[in-house]
Amino acid sequence: MLKFIVRRLLGMIPILFIVSILIFSFVRFIPGDPARLVAGPDATYRDIQAVRAQLGLDKPVVTQYIDYVEGLLRGNLGTSLKTGRPVAEEIGSRFMATFWLTVVSMGWAFVIGLLIGVASAVKRNRWQDYAGMFTAVSGISLPSFWLGLMLIQLFSVRLGWLPTAGFDSWKSLVLPSLTLGSGVAAVIARFTRSSLMEVLREDYTRTARAKGLHYNIVVWKHALRNALIPVVTMTGLQFGFLLGGSVVVETVFSWPGLGRLLIDSVAFRDYPVIQGEMLLFALEFILINLVVDVLYAVLNPQIRLE
Amino acid sequence: MVKKSMMLVCALLFGLSLILSGCGAPAGKTVGVQSVQKQGKSITVAVQDNFVSMDPGDTNDTLSFSAEKTMMEGLIGFDKSMKMVPLLATSWEVSPDAKEFTFHLRKGVKFSDGTPFNAQAVKVNIDRLSDPKSNLKRHSLFSLVDKTVVVDEYTVKVILKQPFGAMLNNFAHPAALMVSPAALEKYGKNIGRHPVGTGEYMLKEWIPGDHLTVVKNPNYWRQGYPKLDSITFKSVPENGSRIAMLQTGEADFIYPVPPENVQSLVGQSGVTVKHKPSIIVDYVSMNTLKKPFNDPKVRQALNYAIDKNAFIKVVYSGLAEPMTSEIASNVQFFSPQQPYPYDPNKAKALLKEAGYPNGFDTTIWSNNNSTYIKATQFIQQQLAQVGVKVKIENMESGTMDSKIWSVKKPQDATIQLYFGGWSPSTGDADWGLRPLLSKDMIPPQGYNTAYYQNDTVSREIQQAIETADPAQRKAAYDKVEKDIWQDAPWVFLDTRDNIYGYRNYLKDAFLLPDGSLDVQKAEIVK
Repeated sequence: MLKFIVRRLLGMIPILFIVSILIFSFVRFIPGDPARLVAGPDATYRDIQAVRAQLGLDKPVVTQYIDYVEGLLRGNLGTSLKTGRPVAEEIGSRFMATFWLTVVSMGWAFVIGLLIGVASAVKRNRWQDYAGMFTAVSGISLPSFWLGLMLIQLFSVRLGWLPTAGFDSWKSLVLPSLTLGSGVAAVIARFTRSSLMEVLREDYTRTARAKGLHYNIVVWKHALRNALIPVVTMTGLQFGFLLGGSVVVETVFSWPGLGRLLIDSVAFRDYPVIQGEMLLFALEFILINLVVDVLYAVLNPQIRLE
Repeated sequence: MVKKSMMLVCALLFGLSLILSGCGAPAGKTVGVQSVQKQGKSITVAVQDNFVSMDPGDTNDTLSFSAEKTMMEGLIGFDKSMKMVPLLATSWEVSPDAKEFTFHLRKGVKFSDGTPFNAQAVKVNIDRLSDPKSNLKRHSLFSLVDKTVVVDEYTVKVILKQPFGAMLNNFAHPAALMVSPAALEKYGKNIGRHPVGTGEYMLKEWIPGDHLTVVKNPNYWRQGYPKLDSITFKSVPENGSRIAMLQTGEADFIYPVPPENVQSLVGQSGVTVKHKPSIIVDYVSMNTLKKPFNDPKVRQALNYAIDKNAFIKVVYSGLAEPMTSEIASNVQFFSPQQPYPYDPNKAKALLKEAGYPNGFDTTIWSNNNSTYIKATQFIQQQLAQVGVKVKIENMESGTMDSKIWSVKKPQDATIQLYFGGWSPSTGDADWGLRPLLSKDMIPPQGYNTAYYQNDTVSREIQQAIETADPAQRKAAYDKVEKDIWQDAPWVFLDTRDNIYGYRNYLKDAFLLPDGSLDVQKAEIVK
């Protein structure tokens, strides 16, 4: 398994390299002139030309790309056009906020989603199933900006229990993670339900029951383990998406995370920051895929990592 | 079993509706909220965007200037209505040819790092701004400076290469806030993250994307100030969240408040919402080089065709004033004109005279934020009444910028109507007129999206800055504003209001007409 992990980690390098080329060219396809945006709304033509030269945007694109790759090889992601701060610093300062929000949201969403899913599958077509799936459909359908603002109205404005904005303490995490996690919990619940129902129809489940094992043990120990494989895949994907930062939730709760940074950077045509963030997202997805693959093997020893 | 599940679903729905109806009810009934008691002497200001830089010379967003002004001061300041007042300079003289500006400095002032404020410190700052090699975004405000001379410890003289009558306003501009020379030396290019000035407050911490906190400067020169211990600026992009923060007391001051949200705050105990005219004007420029807008009659017709008061009601919930000149009434050398009344019949008659009895088709460009979309839709509806069919193209701002400013030759410009706003950050008529309406400012040079190239007007705009004599400048602008108004290269729409909200215990915190915050002298009254 260790060999497998090392090989996969080495395989990341060419992938990231290709991704970097794609990102570099795509951001430059967006119409718009960063020099004009950086120079500001009432800059004169001369100001704009000066800014362009200062930012190195007057150089040929090929030269810019070579500079960029050279920087990357030295571990330098460049400097933000907007703030003049190193990109690594811009992203770094927001990464932890997004990371904690993702971990907490995914944490409760996974547990609750799994419980609802199992309950629904086991009590198929009974009221527990209907209630569970009703909750799940609501979780998917409620737009997060609406849910977020409603939670703020209830818990911050009316009850005064939780803060409205920012990331200052564990209390700040409650509302954003509820909002962000509700959709994920719903997806996990539905995946768990359908997958577990399938497994419960399998012969080996019947065998386990037939040899006299308690139903709960069959479900939790034997069936669920096998049913988890698609759920883990799904969870990994969701985890990756959330790590990219949620623009809506971060905006509603003034969360200092990566989603807002990306939107701001795109609006500002802040090429180095967009590039840096996209590269980070690519890296996150590759790593998560690796973790998911390893988890397969842990869940089902029949799966071998080659 | 089915019955049971139905009951459960009903119960859930009922519970949900209870929560929702609770949320919808007026918040005035809430417990706990209006009993917010201010503890301590620290306030939180919730703003919309993120701060970009704390280096005044390298700043071009009003928000960053707002925070800079709590830490740094300029030679000249602005009062509530943007009239220039002495700040670090106690008085000044201008030579009749508008080339030499002499400042007498306040004595006994120190930067918060202990560096004395004197003529040498001013020279360091002005030299930095006027040197193109400093690569500062606000260099253009000081590019005319030839040299800065230290006359004595507390007198400094700035000499320009050519006359510029509006130069005093550039000294009052936040870009000319004085930074400690020792800090400039120490931090170099990173001064934007380590601002040191003579202001009421000093930087404590700045977490990009989240908040910026300033604390009391114990050695501030003005007796009795500052009144607060600290001010935290928090970036809260969502309008609803900002308003919620004011209601809960998590924020003591919020801005902007969108016009459509004002009603939800009015009448709530503990909270005040204020709106005051800004210096931002909204207009529709018409490409005067091309048919049909090359005919002044057509341009005037469009001015008659739009009901400005209805426009203000629809777009700004009534919180704006009709424009009465090309610049707002708070801008220096504003000269009121006779507004074009709403008169669709006259508009039709003018169009007929110009040879368009059945109107024509045209396109309007604008940004794609919700206010601008609403505005262009209203304009479309109004112009349809007089036979002008408008196609709306709302674009993301970067995309629109490149469509407007990538044009090399004026005849290649495809722009027809353009809806936009302008805020002359110096507060002077020159910056409200020259970049927009003088003939050397057509794209890509400037912001003259009307391609308006009236020689007389351009010459008059130039003459108005060749003297610093207010009477002469006023006479020149009276004429300029009248000429442009009659020529109507724009549809003149409105001057927006600045809207902000605060908790009642907060005193002397407000917005200046240019949209920047003034919280330096704020205090809490119980």
